[in-house]
Amino acid sequence: MAELDHWHPALKSEELRARPVGVTVAGRELVLFRAGGSVGCLPDRCPHRGMRLSLGTTEAGRLVCPYHGWSYAPDGQGRSPGTPTAKPCAEALETVERDGAVWVRRQGSSSRFPRWDHDGCYEVGRLRKTVHAPLEVTLDNFTEVEHTPFLHAFLGYNPEDLASLECRVTTEDDRVTVFNQGPQRPFPAPLGALYGVPRDADFIDHWTTFFSPVYTVYDQYWVDRETGERHPDALKIAVFFNPVSPEDTELFVFVHAVRPRWTSWRASPLLGALTRAFVHLEVMLDARMLGRLADRSTSLKGRSLGRFDKALVAHRPRIDALYRGAPR
Amino acid sequence: MDPATHTIVVGAGPAGLAVAAGLGSRGVPYTLLERSEDVGWSWRNHYERLHLHTVKQFSSLPGMRFPEHVGLYPSRDEVVAYLEAYARRFKVTPRLGEGVQRARREHGLWHVETDRGTHRAKNLVLATGYNRVPREVRWPGQEAFQGTVLHSREFRSGRPFQGKRVLVVGMGNTGGELALDLWESGATVALAVRSPRHVVPRDVYGIPAQVNSLFVLSRLPIALADRLSLRLLDRVVGDLAPYGLPRPSEGPLTQVVERGRIPLIDIGTIALVKQGKLPVLPPPERFTPTGVVHADGVERPWDAVLAATGYHPGLEELLEGASQVLNERGYPRVHGAESALPGLYFLGFRNPLTGQLHDIAREARRITAALGGA
Ligand SMILES: Cc1cc2nc3c(=O)[nH]c(=O)nc-3n(C[C@H](O)[C@H](O)[C@H](O)COP(=O)(O)OP(=O)(O)OC[C@H]3O[C@@H](n4cnc5c(N)ncnc54)[C@H](O)[C@@H]3O)c2cc1C
Ligand code: FES
Ligand SMILES: [Fe+2]
Repeated sequence: MAELDHWHPALKSEELRARPVGVTVAGRELVLFRAGGSVGCLPDRCPHRGMRLSLGTTEAGRLVCPYHGWSYAPDGQGRSPGTPTAKPCAEALETVERDGAVWVRRQGSSSRFPRWDHDGCYEVGRLRKTVHAPLEVTLDNFTEVEHTPFLHAFLGYNPEDLASLECRVTTEDDRVTVFNQGPQRPFPAPLGALYGVPRDADFIDHWTTFFSPVYTVYDQYWVDRETGERHPDALKIAVFFNPVSPEDTELFVFVHAVRPRWTSWRASPLLGALTRAFVHLEVMLDARMLGRLADRSTSLKGRSLGRFDKALVAHRPRIDALYRGAPR
Repeated sequence: MDPATHTIVVGAGPAGLAVAAGLGSRGVPYTLLERSEDVGWSWRNHYERLHLHTVKQFSSLPGMRFPEHVGLYPSRDEVVAYLEAYARRFKVTPRLGEGVQRARREHGLWHVETDRGTHRAKNLVLATGYNRVPREVRWPGQEAFQGTVLHSREFRSGRPFQGKRVLVVGMGNTGGELALDLWESGATVALAVRSPRHVVPRDVYGIPAQVNSLFVLSRLPIALADRLSLRLLDRVVGDLAPYGLPRPSEGPLTQVVERGRIPLIDIGTIALVKQGKLPVLPPPERFTPTGVVHADGVERPWDAVLAATGYHPGLEELLEGASQVLNERGYPRVHGAESALPGLYFLGFRNPLTGQLHDIAREARRITAALGGA
């Protein structure tokens, strides 16, 4: 399977309203538009003379090109007001709207929909952010905790705990799982109390990376170091890595909290907004760091790697084989 | 033959465990018989993605809640873990691998024949489950069909069906969810529906449907509750007739109360139906070697047909004199209290809108109180 054979989240649902919107997914320029209850997706260039369709309008479920008024149904069937005999056809992509996002893939593909289990969790937020780094390099940042003490404001671990941190990597044909456990970084006092994060807790960051498409699902929670008991609050985060070009990657982040809003006063809308802001901040910090790398090449050959880089090595052949469809 | 005990409980699912725990804590001697090798057999064998569609706060058994870190709708694995923990906590030790073949009343005692022998007791609690026996449907021409036909009981996940064309027959909660699972697994899926059914989103404006049923609908007269819920469904679900899902003529509560017909608790299936991902087709009429002729006379090709055609409790097989205590559909007439046969109790054989586990917990308390006082 090639990149576009996999489902990619292209837009947040609320970003697609009456006007068509252009997006770049896996290097392809596409236009999305609403047509009744579903969403149409076509290449963002008119089959007539190459106009950018995302600058057009939607009328009665058809996408109208701004140049000569040719219009296209979601299945790509075109009509020309000036040349009624013309039967223009655009190659339509398949779309689906789920989890507050519009997803696209090539028509006729039978790839799996990237489901992650957030049943019964409540949504904290979704965010989309482009990072100036290739897919592999971006994924690298999101799949090791060694950078967290130096880069992040809240997320992750203390510098002095890094050397003793537990970090287990397990691999299967279609996934790579990493389990990290170590003492929770002290939260600033009022925040710690607000979140109810226990003082003597271990923070667990446990994630699995999949490759159809490339995405990582994080389970983040706390356990009491004495009793081993789980703290009731937990986050479930899914990060999708959409290649925009060989140099840029778009992050599409879905954040859920395990505790439903109405069972706990702490998980109030305020806390939701605060958590959303934290996630934004941390992702910004990652994006900034990635933008400043001196060497953005995706190969790990010849680099000196540390004990947290094991998963990174395991990702490379899986991205090539499962995501890009290179023969193994 | 063992000496007679006070009570025999059959089935170590949620219902049997709840009764056993209650009897144990009252010091009433009992024997719990379970056909399989573990407690919670049904839950261990459900499809992988299953979560409760009732909230954990109103789905726990007497005396023990779900752990705090479990989400609002516990997953299959979390339910299994909960049942194991429940059995441990209340020191319930079923006789595993001892399936009941037949129970009969003789000389004032219940004689319960199992694969291994006969047990006797003054009282008998049947908790073998609402969903004991798959309702298998056979269609003309099915033998010649070259694809696969399976009942939802055998379904674990859609993974093996990636790239296949699958017809899901029946749109109850199971059919609806399995169609969703199959679509997510990369299959081409359609639903075949015989009779219309109401559709209720699992959460309406962030409020779980069960909470709505518990605190609003179940406290109103049925006609009013029906009217109210139809008004709400108009707003949140809309008219599904254009997608092949006309609304039943009776209201949702009437259907539950009078027919035991639970609405589809929707967790995402309907959104896919509306987006054209899950077409709704007329029911199968007969099979051909490569597909199915549907009731509209059109033959469509399928690689697999999944019968989500439901279950029945199969109590007739287990119980001598069943006709005295079961209604014409095969479900017990009396629930949670002594039936027409002395010392015989049923638990877990009705499915109210407020949730079966919630009902089981409440009725288990009544049964253990009745037996513990005796
Ligand atoms: C897919 C599905 C989803 C459900 N979701 C919910 C939900 O979200 N919320 C809710 O409230 N309810 C739900 N229910 C309904 C119900 O709560 C569960 O089915 C629950 O497991 C019922 O408990 P039970 O103990 O009555 O039956 P079961 O869990 O089926 O247990 C019966 C036990 O009896 C044993 N047994 C059967 N026959 C014999 C025999 N002859 N001898 C000895 N042992 C025997 C079985 O092995 C089994 O262990 C769901 C049901 C299904 C099928
Ligand atoms: S370029 Fe689009 S109509 Fe001519
Ligand atoms: Fe980071």
